[in-house]
Amino acid sequence: MKAIDIALKDLTSSMRSKFALVFMFGVPLLVTGMFYFMFGNIASQGEFSLPQISVVIANLDEGGPKFQTNTRNIPGGAKADTMGELVVGILQSDDLAELLDARLVPDAAAAKAAVDSQQAQVAIIIPTDFSTQFADIDGTAAIEFYQDPTLTIGPGIVRSILTQFMDGMSGVKIAVNVALDEGGPANYALIGQVVQQYLDESLAQSDDPETALLEVRNPQTRAVDEEQESRNTLVGIVTPIMGGMMIFYAFFTGTGTAQSILKEEEDRTLPRLFTTPTPQSIILSGKFLAVFMTVLVQVVVLLVAARLIFGIQWGGLSSITLMAVGMVFVASSFGIFVNSFLKNTRQGGVVFGGVLTVTGMLGMIGIFAMNSPTAQRLANSVSLLVPQGWAVRGLLQSVNGQPVADVLFSMLVMLAWSAVFFTIGIWRFNRRYA
Amino acid sequence: MNAIEVQEIYKAFGDVKAVQGVSFNVRQGEIFSLLGPNGAGKTTTISMLATLLRPDQGDAQVLGHSLRQDAMGVKSVLGVVPQEIALYEDLSARENLTFWGKMYGLRGAELKIRVDEVLELIGLTERAKGRVEKFSGGMKRRVNIGVALLHKPQVIYMDEPTVGIDPQSRRNILDSVITLKDQGMTVLYTTHYMEEAQEISDHIAIMDHGKLITQGTHAELVKIVGERDRLTLTINAESERVLDTWRAVDGVAQIISENGTLNILADDSNLVLPRLFDAAAVEDVRITSVEIQEPNLEAVFLHLTGRALRD
Repeated sequence: MKAIDIALKDLTSSMRSKFALVFMFGVPLLVTGMFYFMFGNIASQGEFSLPQISVVIANLDEGGPKFQTNTRNIPGGAKADTMGELVVGILQSDDLAELLDARLVPDAAAAKAAVDSQQAQVAIIIPTDFSTQFADIDGTAAIEFYQDPTLTIGPGIVRSILTQFMDGMSGVKIAVNVALDEGGPANYALIGQVVQQYLDESLAQSDDPETALLEVRNPQTRAVDEEQESRNTLVGIVTPIMGGMMIFYAFFTGTGTAQSILKEEEDRTLPRLFTTPTPQSIILSGKFLAVFMTVLVQVVVLLVAARLIFGIQWGGLSSITLMAVGMVFVASSFGIFVNSFLKNTRQGGVVFGGVLTVTGMLGMIGIFAMNSPTAQRLANSVSLLVPQGWAVRGLLQSVNGQPVADVLFSMLVMLAWSAVFFTIGIWRFNRRYA
Repeated sequence: MNAIEVQEIYKAFGDVKAVQGVSFNVRQGEIFSLLGPNGAGKTTTISMLATLLRPDQGDAQVLGHSLRQDAMGVKSVLGVVPQEIALYEDLSARENLTFWGKMYGLRGAELKIRVDEVLELIGLTERAKGRVEKFSGGMKRRVNIGVALLHKPQVIYMDEPTVGIDPQSRRNILDSVITLKDQGMTVLYTTHYMEEAQEISDHIAIMDHGKLITQGTHAELVKIVGERDRLTLTINAESERVLDTWRAVDGVAQIISENGTLNILADDSNLVLPRLFDAAAVEDVRITSVEIQEPNLEAVFLHLTGRALRD
C-alpha cells in the first residue's frame, strides 16, 4: 500500500510539472502535427503539384505530300496541315495546358536563346524537311530537343511526350513500308488507308490511360473517394511519425521520472523516507512503480489523442495493447537502468542528450528509411540492437495488421529487455542505499 | 528511565573520523542537546541514531530497540526533523503531511485528524492548501517539524532546526520544542547556538572533533569554568604586543588570541579589567572594545577546547 502511495505522489508531481507535461504530451503531438500540416497539401491533391514547364517551339516545317488525319484524334482537335503543326498542336493542346506552357518562336536561334536565358526549360526545333522526311519511305524524320542542362524533371516530361509521339510515327512508317512491299505501287488506296488507320491509332494512344506515359487528370471529375484516399495517404505518412515520437518520448519520460530517485536523494526526502518505518524495498518499489504508471499514462493518452486528432488507426485492440504494455515496461525499466548509473541529477543532462537521443534515433532509423527497401532492411536490422527498435517494430506490426503472434513476439522481446534492465537497476539502487 | 542509551558509537568516512566513541543517555521526557561547532559530529551522531547510517562500532537503544538488532522498531518510535527542509515542494502542506502520515502507517480518519491537529500545532491551518514552494523559510521549517509529529512519536530528533530562519520563526520553534517536552516527548536536539541549548535543555553534551568532551546540566557545565567571567577585547595593535603582559595580570585565568580578538577568562571582571587597561597603556596599546559575559557554555567550550564555540 505504501508503495502505491509513493507512486501516486510521484505521479501527482509529474502531472503538476509543466515541463514534464510539455515533453510527455505536447512535443510528440506537436511534432506529428507539424508533419500532418506539412504533408496535408500534398496528400489532399493526391500527387505533387509541378509548376508549368515552359517550352518554346521553332516550327520550321515546310510541309510535304498532302496527308490527312482524323482531327478528333489530335489532342485539342487542332487542324494540322504539316507534321510540324501536328507536333505543335499536341504540345499546345488543352489537355496539356496545365502541364506545359508551349509557345512558338520564329527560328531555331530564338528558341535556343530562350533556353540559354532561362526563359524556357526546353526548346523544340522542328526542321524544314520534317514532313518530307516523314513522307519519304527511306527518310529519317527528327526533332531537335534543346534543354537547360541544370533541369531534369520538366525536360524529362516533355521528352517523354515527344518520344511517345515519335514512336507512333515510326510505327506508321513501318506500316507503310510493309504495305508497299505487299501491295505494290499500284495499290496506293490501300497504303493510304493503312497510313490513315495507323496514324489515328497512334494518336489515339495518348487518350488511353492504361498505356499513356503521362496521365493528365481532370480535377473536376474526381469523386469523393479521392478525398478519402488522400486522407488515408496523410494518415499513412503521420502514423509512423507519431508512433516514433511516442516511443522516443516514452523513453525520455521513463528516464526523467526514474531520475526522481536521485532528485529525492538530493532534496533529502529520500533519506527522510528511510527514517520512517517503511522498508527500503517498499520505498524503491514505490519509486519504480511511479515510473511505470507515468509512462503508462503517457502512452495511453498519446494513443487516444493521436486517434482522435489525426485519425490514426493503431491496429487491433489486442495487438496495440500488447505493444503498449511491452513499450511501457521497456521504457520504464530502461529509465531505471540508466539512472542507476548516475551519481546525481546533473549527470542527467548528458544522459538525456546522449544515450537517449542516440538509442532513440537508432531505434527509429527504419521509419526514416521507408522510401528505400534496401536501406530499410538494413535500418530495421540495426534498430533491433536497441529496445526502441523493438518498440517501433511492435508498433508497425500492429498498425500494419500483422498477426497478433508477431506483435506478441516483439512484446516478449521488449519484456526480456525490461527484465535485464530492471534487474540491473534494482541491484544497483539497492546496493547504493544499503 | 532512559529513552536513549548510546554506547561507544564510532563512524568514519574514509580517513575522516566523524564520531569517535560517543556515549550518552537521554532520560525519558527531557530535552537533551548536542552542542558543538559545525563539523563536530552532531549530525553524524543523530543520523546513526535515526538508522540512516550504520555505526562502525557500538550500539544504541531507543526505548529498548537496538539500532543494530531492531532498526524498524527504532523507526516506529521515532520522529526525525532533518537539518535541511525535506518536503515535496510541489505538494501543498496538507498533501505533504498526508503523504508522510501514510509513510508512518496512519490511514483513514486517524490520518485526517492528525493532519488537522498538526496543521493547527504548527499554525498553518489557513495555508494548508498552499504549495510548500510558495512558503517562507520559517513556514517550511514548521511543516518540516510537523511531519515528524504526525504519528505522535515518543522520541523526536531535531537536527539544527533553527538554521537560517528569522528570529520570530526561531522563537516559535523553540516554544514548540518546549511544548513537546511538556507533552511528554523526549527530544534529542542538536545545535551550534549556545543560547538555544542553554534555554531549552535539561541536559547538554558538548561535542568537538567527533568526541563528546563533556555533558551535564547547564549548571553543572558552567561549574567547570567556576565563577569566571569571559572578557572579549579588541585592541588597536597586534595581539602579541599585550599577550605576555596580560597573562601576567593578577586574576587572568586563561587568555586566547583568535582572529584579532582576545578571549580572557577572569576571576572577577571588575578587578581585572582596570589592570588590563593599565597594562595596555604601558605597552602604548589602546583597547578599542570590551565585552563582558557571565559564566556560560561559550566559556565552557573555550575552557575545554581553547577555541570559541562560534568558529
